[in-house]
Amino acid sequence: MRLYEYEGKKIFRKYKIPVLDSVVVDKMSYHQLDEIMYPVVIKGQSFLGGRGKAGLIKFANTREEAEETIRKILRSKHSSFEIEKVLVEKKVAVKNEYYIASAIDRPAHRPLFIACKHGGVEIEEIAIQRPKDVLKYYFNSCIRMHEFEARKISRSLGLSGKELILVADVVIRLYNLFLDLDCKLAEINPLVMTEHGEIYALDAKVDLDEDAMFRHPEIDEMGIFARHEIGELTERERVAKKMGIPYVDLDGDIGVFPGGAGFGIAAIDLIEHYGGKPANFMDSGGAPTQEKLRAMLGLLVENPKVKAIFGARFGGISRCDDWARALINYVYENKPGKPMIMRMAGNMEEAGRRIIEQAKAEHPELFRNIKIYAVDTPIEEVIKETIKTAKRFG
Amino acid sequence: MAIIIDESTKTIVQGITGKNASLHTKLMLEYGTKIVGGITPGKGGHEVEGIKVYDTVEECKIHHPDASVSSVWVPPRFAKDAILEAIDANINTIVVITERIPIHDMLYVRERAKDKNIVVLGGNTPGLVSPGKSLVGMLPRITFKPGRVGTVARSGAVTYYLANSLNLAGFGESTSVGLGGDPILGANFEDILRLFEQDSETDVVVMAGEIGGVYEELAAPYIKEMTKPVVAFIAGKAAPQGKRLGHAGAIVEGNMGTAQSKIDALKANGAVIAETLSEIPVLVREALESIRGYDKSRRQK
Repeated sequence: MRLYEYEGKKIFRKYKIPVLDSVVVDKMSYHQLDEIMYPVVIKGQSFLGGRGKAGLIKFANTREEAEETIRKILRSKHSSFEIEKVLVEKKVAVKNEYYIASAIDRPAHRPLFIACKHGGVEIEEIAIQRPKDVLKYYFNSCIRMHEFEARKISRSLGLSGKELILVADVVIRLYNLFLDLDCKLAEINPLVMTEHGEIYALDAKVDLDEDAMFRHPEIDEMGIFARHEIGELTERERVAKKMGIPYVDLDGDIGVFPGGAGFGIAAIDLIEHYGGKPANFMDSGGAPTQEKLRAMLGLLVENPKVKAIFGARFGGISRCDDWARALINYVYENKPGKPMIMRMAGNMEEAGRRIIEQAKAEHPELFRNIKIYAVDTPIEEVIKETIKTAKRFG
Repeated sequence: MAIIIDESTKTIVQGITGKNASLHTKLMLEYGTKIVGGITPGKGGHEVEGIKVYDTVEECKIHHPDASVSSVWVPPRFAKDAILEAIDANINTIVVITERIPIHDMLYVRERAKDKNIVVLGGNTPGLVSPGKSLVGMLPRITFKPGRVGTVARSGAVTYYLANSLNLAGFGESTSVGLGGDPILGANFEDILRLFEQDSETDVVVMAGEIGGVYEELAAPYIKEMTKPVVAFIAGKAAPQGKRLGHAGAIVEGNMGTAQSKIDALKANGAVIAETLSEIPVLVREALESIRGYDKSRRQK
C-alpha cells in the first residue's frame, strides 16, 4: 500500500523526522494558502515517479502565483492517474541532497538500509551510473539499528561533526518507522541539508504491507486508508473490493469465474492462447462463502461486455458442494440467460455433482445454457468451448 | 522414498479446532496421513476427529516425540507465533496453510528456521502429497496418483490441474509440493528441486511458477546443475502491469517478476518450457524418452 507524499510526511512528523511547513489543497478553495510563507514549492500528489518531468512540481513566489499553478495541476492527469491533492510546501535554499531508504531485499530475504550521497535523482539511475556510490547495509529482521550503525551510515555520506549526528538521527528514526509500521519501503529522496545547516526530508515515499495493517490502527487514525496499488479502480473493481473479492477488469468478453488466484492467472493465459479475450481476473480466495461466490457470479453476469462465462472449481480448501450450491442458488434467484461453461473437480465433487443434477432435473429451463464438466474433461476443452460460445452469442 | 513425507511420517495439526483445519484433518486421516496430535492453545484435552488436542506443541511432542511435520492453519495474526512454536519444538517441516502473513513476520520466521535447518513451506501453501502415502494440507486427494514425476508449484489450483493433466496422460507423482502464493515464502523452488534431484523415486521434475517475485529466477542456475530434466510452466503472460492478481505475491512491479523474465532465465539454464498446462505431459514424455534413450545408448557402448 503506497502512500502519497503528504501521508508519508504525516508519519515522518510523528517520528520526528524533520519536514517543512506545508498545507494540502484538494478542492478549488484556497484559504489554506494564507497559512504558509512564500516562496513555496507546489507538488501534485501521485504514486508514480517522475513527477518533475510530468510538470507536477512547480515553484511560486506569491499566493496568486500559487493559486494559478494549483488550478493547472489539480484534476490533471499523471499517466492514467488524476491528481486529487496538491502539497504546498515552504521553499528552502538547499546545500546538499542525499538519498536514504529502508527496504526489503526480496531475493536475500533481509531488510536493508540504502544510503547514497547523490540525492534528488531516481536511485535506479544512480545505481547504473555510479553503482559504487549506492551503499547497502544489511540487518537481521525485526532487530533495531544501533546508534553507532546509524553514525557509520551517516559518515559514509561524507558527513562529519554536527551534520553527521543530525543525519544519523534521521537514519535511525527512518529505520524505526520501517520496522514499527511494517513497511515494505520507507524512502527519503532527497534528504537535504540547507544553507543554514538544517536537515529536512523533502520527499517521502512509504509503502506499507497491507497484510500487516490489522495491527496498525494508528494508520487508520491518521486518516490514511487502504487503497489499490497503482492506478484508479474501475467501478466494478471498486464494488468487488468492497465485497472482499480480488478483481481486475480486462478488455474481453469472456467472464472468468475461477477458483484460486494461481489458476485465475493461468486461465487468462489459456483464454488468450486459444484466441479468446478474458473480461476479468478474479480470485475466490480459500474457502469462499456462499455470498461471496454469488457476488462473484453477479459481477460477471451483470457486466454487459461478458458474452459467456468460463468457470472452474478445483476443490481443495474450497469444497465443490459449496460451490455447486452457490451456483444453483444464484441461478434460481437471478435467472441469468448468459451461457456458462464450467468444470468442477476435487474435494466433495460427488456431493457437488448431485446438487447440480437435481437442480437441472427440477428446472431444466434455467440451466439450458449451463454446462458443468467433470474431472475427465481437460480444462483446455472447456476453455475452447467457452470461446466458441462467446463468439456465437457475441 | 518420495520427498518430505511418506507413509511413516507422523504429523501434527496446529489450529486443529478451526473449521477448515478440522475438515481437512478428517480428509487427511481418510487419505492415510498419520496425524498424532492437534494443537489449539486453551483447548487442551478436547478431541477432533478422534485426534487429541494439546495446548502447546511442546506437550504434544512429549507424547509423540517422532512427530516431524506440522501443518499450520491459524489466522494470519497468530501465524508467526505458531511457526516459532513449532521451530522451538524441533518440528522438521512446517507446512503453513495460513495466507497473507505479514512480510516482516515471515522474514523473522525464515531466519529462525534457518538457524535449525527447518523447512517452512508457505505461507498460503495448499500443502504437499506423496500419492498413496501421505497428504499434508488441503490438496484434493483424488487428483494425485503415485508415479515418478516430482511437481512443485506456487499456486494450489495449478498444482491440482498439473497433477490432473499428468494423470490423464498416464503419469503419476512421486511428491507434489505447493510453495504458496504469499510474497515471502519459506522454502523456494530451488530448495524443492534439490530434494527431487536426490530422490530415487523421481525421474523428472515439473515446476509451475507465476508472475511476481523472483523465486523462479533464483532457482534457474541450479537447474543447470541438475541431472534430472526439468519442465517449467509460468502463468501470467497475459497479466496486466501493476495489478495484484489475487495472490499477495502475484504482481508485476517494474521489470521485476514478469512471466518473460522468468521464462528467459529458466530456458537459459536448460529447463524445457511448456506454453500451456496441457503441453506439460507431452514434454514430460519427451524428457523421459530422452533419458531412456540416453541409458540405452550408454548400455550399447
